[in-house]
Amino acid sequence: MTEKIDRAVIQKVIKSVPMLSASANQLLQTTTDPDHDLREIVHIVKTDATLTARVLKVVNSAAFGLINEITSLDRAISYLGERLIVGIAIGDCASQLFDKELKGYEGEHGDLWRHDLRTAIASREVVAQSDLDISPDLAFTAGLLHDIGKALISDYLQGTAGEVLEKIENDEISDYLSAEEELIGFDHPRAGYELALTWKLPEAIAEVIRFHHTPAEAREEFQELVYAVHLGDNIAMMGGCGTGADSMRYKLDADYSRYITLQPNALASIMLTVNEEFVKLERSFAEAGDSNR
Amino acid sequence: MGQIILGVGDYGASNRPGEEVKTFALGSCVSVVLLDPKTRTVGMVHVALPESAINKAKSVEKPGYFADTGIPALLAAMAKFGCNPKGKGMVVKLCGGANVMDTNDTFQIGKRNALSIKKVLWKYGMGAVAEDLGGNFSRTVSVSVDTGEIILNSPGRPNWKL
Repeated sequence: MTEKIDRAVIQKVIKSVPMLSASANQLLQTTTDPDHDLREIVHIVKTDATLTARVLKVVNSAAFGLINEITSLDRAISYLGERLIVGIAIGDCASQLFDKELKGYEGEHGDLWRHDLRTAIASREVVAQSDLDISPDLAFTAGLLHDIGKALISDYLQGTAGEVLEKIENDEISDYLSAEEELIGFDHPRAGYELALTWKLPEAIAEVIRFHHTPAEAREEFQELVYAVHLGDNIAMMGGCGTGADSMRYKLDADYSRYITLQPNALASIMLTVNEEFVKLERSFAEAGDSNR
Repeated sequence: MGQIILGVGDYGASNRPGEEVKTFALGSCVSVVLLDPKTRTVGMVHVALPESAINKAKSVEKPGYFADTGIPALLAAMAKFGCNPKGKGMVVKLCGGANVMDTNDTFQIGKRNALSIKKVLWKYGMGAVAEDLGGNFSRTVSVSVDTGEIILNSPGRPNWKL
């Protein structure tokens, strides 16, 4: 029998993880504003020596195959693009969460980071290849953070995966989301949303975290973005990059077609691009980092 | 025990006793396993997409990526081990091709992969003797050169054989 948890428990878990750094927070706020420019990004990164060093390490990693070393931060940032800068900043200061072994989902060490990175790339690609009037960079960042709640509730789900899968196969539970709710009284989107509030993440990102499995429930103004990440998440899982036993055990909301037109061939192209990009980015992050990612 | 690990779009073969050919986490991808009893060779290709028409350049660089170019590439690789280049006498097994829940037609890449693979096999006069396709879960697949037996696993489930 698993123990039920409530908001107070989640809040306590959130308190035990380090806060986002000031620079990561500023980057998130700045890049969410449609009117920002690259100079602001450069300025924020410059104030953070650790982040500066990491950005230069990533851009000079073998995965990017640059012939001449980039030593100027301005050039590094314009080469990598702002989404990767935000990705590096978040990845670094939330590494305790991203690197968590999701035992409750029988996931392996590094699965959450790989799934999130793949979702980020896929969400960006969905936006880039459709007519959505939203920033592909924002879709990337939202994709990176969408599943962060799993790191908060995973420990409470330990030992349940076999039983959940059996119940889903027997139609006793409809999907993994309902299973989380039924077992511990809290699902991972809600847990992630609590974190988003505590970390004061931009509203658009908080909305994605909360509704990425139930995009129709998101506020109208954020629905396009939420649907884009919903698809990105599914594309990542189809690509074999889930977080464990729950992979592919969520429902696709086909109403995405209200915002996003996607022919089968376009989806195939997106999946191809996502795989290529993922292999490259995963390598560059791994080479530049000293964690196990 | 020696292992040949295949990534997305890779193919490989082995006839070395004790060795196994393995690929991780097939979501909608399909692993085509070819067993040649005559030469005791095992081959596998990790197919990601049904048709190479969407990106010809990619199919030249990595033919294993697509059903229509992956199977010929695997057969050519196995011919180097003395197998029949047209796949004569080979045993075929298929795994993977999962779909997300409540999927619509567009997102049924897993199903389309499996169909496209079967069409290509049919052109060679080949058909699968065993398959573990579909469902809503990802599979890791390994096949032993010694026995030709496939072991499948998926997080949260006990391993099973094919």
